[in-house]
Amino acid sequence: MAGKHKEIVVALSAIPNTGKTTLFNRLTGSRQSTGNWPGVSIEKKCGRLTLGEYEVQLIDLPGAYALTPLNEEERIVHGFFLETPPDVVLNIVDARNLYRGLGLTLQMAMSGLPMVVVVNMMDEARRQNIELDIPLLAAHLGVPTVPISARTGEGIPALLNAMYQIIKKPERTRPPHISFPPLLEEAVKDLARKIGRNPNSPGLEPAFLATLLLEQDKASSAIKHPTLNKAVQKWQRRVQRSMDEDIAVTCAQCRFNAARGLMLEATHQQPIPPDARSEWIDRILLNRWLGLPLFFLSMLGLFQAVYGLGTPLQEMLAHSFDSGEQWLHQQPGVVALPSWLQSFLFDGLWQGMAVVTSFFPIIALFFIFMSIIEDSGYMARAAFLMDRLMHRIGLDGKAFINLLLGYGCNIPAVMGTRILSGRYNRLVTMLLIPFTLCSARLQVFVFLTAILFPPAIAPWIVFALYLGSLLAVFVMGLLLKVLHIAGNPEPFIMEIPPYRFPTLSGVALRTWYELKDFLYRAATLIIVGVIMVWLLTHFPATAAPASAESWAGQLGKFVAPVFDPLGIHWQETVALLFGLIAKEIVIGALAVIYGGPDLANQLAEQITPLQGISFMVFTLLYTPCIATLAAIYAESRSWLITALSLVLGLVSAWIASLLLYQTGLALGFH
Amino acid sequence: MKTQLNFQPGCECLIRSLGSNKKMAQRLADMGVLPGSKMRIIRLAPFGETLEVSIDDGQYLALREDEINALDCDMMAMPLASPSVKLNQTYRIRSLADGKIFRQRMERYGIAPGITVRIHELSMHALSIELLPLRHTVKLGFGEAQKIIVEVTHGRKA
Repeated sequence: MAGKHKEIVVALSAIPNTGKTTLFNRLTGSRQSTGNWPGVSIEKKCGRLTLGEYEVQLIDLPGAYALTPLNEEERIVHGFFLETPPDVVLNIVDARNLYRGLGLTLQMAMSGLPMVVVVNMMDEARRQNIELDIPLLAAHLGVPTVPISARTGEGIPALLNAMYQIIKKPERTRPPHISFPPLLEEAVKDLARKIGRNPNSPGLEPAFLATLLLEQDKASSAIKHPTLNKAVQKWQRRVQRSMDEDIAVTCAQCRFNAARGLMLEATHQQPIPPDARSEWIDRILLNRWLGLPLFFLSMLGLFQAVYGLGTPLQEMLAHSFDSGEQWLHQQPGVVALPSWLQSFLFDGLWQGMAVVTSFFPIIALFFIFMSIIEDSGYMARAAFLMDRLMHRIGLDGKAFINLLLGYGCNIPAVMGTRILSGRYNRLVTMLLIPFTLCSARLQVFVFLTAILFPPAIAPWIVFALYLGSLLAVFVMGLLLKVLHIAGNPEPFIMEIPPYRFPTLSGVALRTWYELKDFLYRAATLIIVGVIMVWLLTHFPATAAPASAESWAGQLGKFVAPVFDPLGIHWQETVALLFGLIAKEIVIGALAVIYGGPDLANQLAEQITPLQGISFMVFTLLYTPCIATLAAIYAESRSWLITALSLVLGLVSAWIASLLLYQTGLALGFH
Repeated sequence: MKTQLNFQPGCECLIRSLGSNKKMAQRLADMGVLPGSKMRIIRLAPFGETLEVSIDDGQYLALREDEINALDCDMMAMPLASPSVKLNQTYRIRSLADGKIFRQRMERYGIAPGITVRIHELSMHALSIELLPLRHTVKLGFGEAQKIIVEVTHGRKA
């Protein structure tokens, strides 16, 4: 055999909740890379493995129920199969519910691409006393079929062997026979003939393409052929007249009829016993009265765990950055540098790196708990519990957890929008998260209220700010819903999967890749942002940092007329600019700008309580920190959405502060 | 004309057609939920509006009321307290909710799975049913009626 082989592309494809990610991790381990599918915010995961003499690239396709695209995920899978057909398809079905998965299996088998079917969750199936006849399933499907448990590793060697054999001797899948109504059958045959005459999707069966074309509403982008499109439309009209249901629904029905037949033959006992464990757990966790308290209790626990563990870690990191800075300052090489360069290195670059690193503990902890919630199946339950509330603002229940976690830190909350279903949900949630009162903003509020208000009133002001944040989320949600900024919400149909134990390796890998991702995608933007703020506050070189003569000071004075009606002085405007780096910095910035020894007294003299409230409302609503913006860009891959987030924050902050300040003045407060 | 059915936990219906919302019909079809599938309502979310259903006892989904109402369904079984239960109609008792004490009490009345009953009287908070084999009537509160799942029988007895 020749030593050199071209890389083999294997596509991992399955409907959601079949353990696809677990198998992907099991097969590729740490040899993974993540990116985005072109033009969309959906993650593309690739992994590598070596099978004998072959180097295999395993592509984890997004979960899709069918190749007929309905949402973004399915459009990706559809486009991938038509434009770059893989060498081998690895399809996963759930042993506990073959019927559900076989619809897609049969549709993909129609394509003729070499395929291996993996029957996953054999361990769970045994626990439920489900017996399957795998050889019979393999014989009917006409492709190698391997029973495994991705979670325990059972059957993996057999799977690797099956993959190796099919790569070595690629065998086209014999398309299964699925009986369609006569007229539809005729349409498929006719179109298949036409496609067969000028094939431009090599490797795919003409009948498969013909069915896909007939099922689709609009002319498919994959086959650019005007005469063919006309023929498709003619057949669509003819076929549609002869039946009640949509063509796509009828095709699905035919596939699932075949799937049901297969499932009945391959399963020994009927009916399949229900999953008693999940039902029992749900009777408690989804109980009418207990469900919500238990949900809030678990969220409280999560919060405590993330911030209880994360904050000390953050402090430790900040401390080591400080000592690192001090140590560097004493180095002779550094001392010799010109002072502006020193300032750039420490106040710009070093500070930027400190900001990036400070998010590590929170992001890691957040994703550890998030993966546990998601992998166990509780996420779907939480979404079910909170769905109605979120539906009011056009979202579904899953978004609740992201918004809630925004109250801790906006960055991981924005990163977590990845698991939401549908582009609409992802974008709207990511635009709403910046209005949640994160712990950094809380520090500013606690500090300022303590200075400006008597101790009996201060906590109430902070509480009112929390309420204001909730109100802002709600109002903005309604606004985004009315404006149709992110298109239309999709119909809400959510699967509630059986409960499952999360695996340690699954959680660890996920957390590791999220951290890496944050570093790759957001870190540069954060450091650039910090350096920009440094430039504004430290130049021209003759001016004292952040003084009236610095660019930031000039900018603050320039925009003073805009902030005057809000009762915000130019010094505070500069502090708000600093707040872009991280909200905590606002206080330190005020100290630098006012430049006195006793900041508290100075602030109390300079700022009236009403002005303080106006300033705090502005701080609550205006643009989140640079890191959040970077995360929004990394997740949405859209400068437009990122800019929108910036503008929404600034405009709403300005309006809210103006209304509050002017009303306050009119009522005689000061 | 399609009548609005009242879906509440315990109801079971047969999907006749996936309805006119194309996107939703196709999504359900792709998930294997098709005309002829049996849908059972398991529970209502605490805030209402969202329902958990099982399809052919194998697949669990969360759907909103609007989406379920868009489906064209035949109601097959429902709690006795459901607004779909009509006066003078006969029903067969399919199952009783869990709870030993409740079952024992119902047994004393002669209410058990398989018995055919006719709705004798319907009021705001109570209903009385006639147990057809025994020809005696039993008065039930709505709380009790909620726990008795009945299915539609096709013969109508006056």
